[in-house]
Amino acid sequence: MKRIFFSTLIIAAIFTSCSSDDDAGTPISENVEAPATYTFERDGQSTVSFSGQTTRILMAGELVSAFNDFDNATQESLQNMFAHVEGAEDFSDPDLNASDKSVRSKTAASKDFFGANATESSQIKATFDGYIATQINEVFPNQNVAATPGVAGQIADGSSARYVTGNGLEMNQTFAKGLIGALMADQMLNNYLGTAVLDEADNRENNNNDVTAEDKPYTTMEHKWDEAYGYLFGASTNAANPLQTLGEDDAFLNKYLGRVEGDSDFAGIAQDVYDAFKLGRAAIVAKNYEVRDAQAEIIREKISEVIAIRAVHYLQSGKTAIENQDFGAAFHDLSEGYGFVYSLRFTRNNQDDMSYFSRSEVDGFIEDIMTEGPNGLWDVTPATLDAVSTAIAAKFDFTVAQAATTD
Amino acid sequence: MTRKILILFAFIAVAYACSESDDTGSPGTNDSFDRSLMLVHWADNIIIPSYQDFVPATVNLRTSTTIFVDEPTSTSLNDLRQKWETAYLSFQNVSMFEIGPAEMVRFRDRMNTYPTNISEISQLIANGTYDFSLPSTNDAQGFPAMDYLLNGLGDDSETLAFYTTDTNAEANRNFLADLANAIHTLSENVLADWSSSFRDDFVNNDGSSASASVDKLTNDYIFYYEKALRAGKIGIPAGVFSNDPQPQTVEAMYAEDFSKALAMESLQATERFFKGQSFNGNQVGPSYEAYLDFLNTIKNGEDLGSLINSQFTKAKTELNELDDNFVNQIETDNSKMLEAYDELQRNVILLKVDMLQALSIDVDYVDSDGD
Repeated sequence: MKRIFFSTLIIAAIFTSCSSDDDAGTPISENVEAPATYTFERDGQSTVSFSGQTTRILMAGELVSAFNDFDNATQESLQNMFAHVEGAEDFSDPDLNASDKSVRSKTAASKDFFGANATESSQIKATFDGYIATQINEVFPNQNVAATPGVAGQIADGSSARYVTGNGLEMNQTFAKGLIGALMADQMLNNYLGTAVLDEADNRENNNNDVTAEDKPYTTMEHKWDEAYGYLFGASTNAANPLQTLGEDDAFLNKYLGRVEGDSDFAGIAQDVYDAFKLGRAAIVAKNYEVRDAQAEIIREKISEVIAIRAVHYLQSGKTAIENQDFGAAFHDLSEGYGFVYSLRFTRNNQDDMSYFSRSEVDGFIEDIMTEGPNGLWDVTPATLDAVSTAIAAKFDFTVAQAATTD
Repeated sequence: MTRKILILFAFIAVAYACSESDDTGSPGTNDSFDRSLMLVHWADNIIIPSYQDFVPATVNLRTSTTIFVDEPTSTSLNDLRQKWETAYLSFQNVSMFEIGPAEMVRFRDRMNTYPTNISEISQLIANGTYDFSLPSTNDAQGFPAMDYLLNGLGDDSETLAFYTTDTNAEANRNFLADLANAIHTLSENVLADWSSSFRDDFVNNDGSSASASVDKLTNDYIFYYEKALRAGKIGIPAGVFSNDPQPQTVEAMYAEDFSKALAMESLQATERFFKGQSFNGNQVGPSYEAYLDFLNTIKNGEDLGSLINSQFTKAKTELNELDDNFVNQIETDNSKMLEAYDELQRNVILLKVDMLQALSIDVDYVDSDGD
């Protein structure tokens, strides 16, 4: 009797400590252990697969490079690369041509944000189509013209030539940096890491019973999580252990997570994201969905932060260049900043499961930057760039100064 | 009692450390070194005389180009090559002064972007029209483009054929003449600006803010030393920034035996500027060295000015060890290139970190993030 009572006490004590952990917000991860690398197997066979994401990253890379292929690119050729159809000879890489994947179909196409918002999704797709059209119809004809206010052409940024529209925007930058939000972050944060996709149909039941997808070694839920991972690490040299080459593996989210990691104010963020991906995936294997969802929240917070940090960073470096009357450098930075500001629409705030910035807030920022005078970036003032930077940073735990400087 | 003293001592130490960091934290300088006199010396005895040496060399280059395109012979070709070498060497003395009129026209980029872009050159010649003020033509003009067109087309008879019997011979001749013209016109304009209004603007802007002449030119000088000299002439070809050596990026690679001479001229120019030696003769005026002496700047117990001077000497010694043709040096024993790079790099630290700190000058450039 005494003995039983004593044991009960011990058990109660254990329970108490567990539940107090819960209260403190720490997930119960005792039964989930993350592996050293992103490696998961079933019956000796790897269950990790994200080839579709790798393909889209590579397609987007070729497309962005082709923006400045003055000798060969046409509006049709760029548009075909954007909205590739299986078998079309759009890319230099035959594997991409053979693929049935397309970048455009997954742009602003997440279930959580755009599943019931086809109107905005199609507006966003049209915005990207418009970048292509502007590049071909406005910038290409002025390839060998010096850019001046209102006149598209080339402008020196250090020893590089940048090709800008009449209002100073580089279309390849707005496209590439906008895609980081509209494709990579949106698919990751608002599609594959959301319960609407992870727990769709009988995904949970199948995962609980180790029922794999047809002819595949993985369960559907495992695969969805991997697809989120693929938008960050799908082009990595060693995708299972990707931090060694972080920043060098693509020109999109991987690159800019690397850039933020390289700023001592934010060092450690890459490991946090990687660890959350590993632990979340291990949680799916362990059928612990609470731990899984806690990791999804970490990833959403950190990736949203990366986009916001880079937006502020480029607005601030653009500001400095404007102050020095170095328009070429300013336009390059501000074009990148423009793309990252556009990408803010696709961030994800765990407090309300909405974007950190609404469509109208993002449009407002862009209007502030582009319409101070008749010629866009030629007229933007440091005060406006500061105001937008401050408004962005205010929603996060970093300061404008932390984002502006990189050691 | 001892304890109390210790605590008091610690307190004082902390207070002292705080006030010291306050002092160095504020930008600008309150020292009484006469920056204005230094600017006058720089402008009148170093910068303008350097351009006054360079511009006539570009006149000669243009004249010899005209003679050559009028009548391409081995004699006129060799004369032109000589004038090109003389002007290219003289250019090494003005290239670090990328300020004011030179900065406005992106002087260094237009004079000396290498490796030159052979297909771009062919394209421009085929087009027949070109605007050398466009940044996309940086790598198809200046001394490196002339290097290719004078030294990179094969042996003498092949080179002459390019300007005589080639189907595009006339366009080829015109392009060469336009290159020499552009070099001359740009240089003449920069000197004219210095000689008229810019000299006074430069000298009168004698404050200690980020936009003051000393702060700006010092940044230009260190940028030049770090990027154009250390990296461009030695580090990049030696493969310091890549997986493998890049001999095709050597300055004046087609001339073959000229790369060391250019690098040495450049290094000596930066050294002379540090010491404040006039361009003509060995008269010394107010300089970085004098400024550091005035501030009595000590690093690790040694005088900073002397450290920088002896580092210049070491770098020259290493550079002297190299083959006249860096392509040969890289292909036979690249380790010597790396040693020269290391000696040059040591002065980047002393100049960019220690000297700038002593002079209370902020670095105004960052490494581009490469996209």
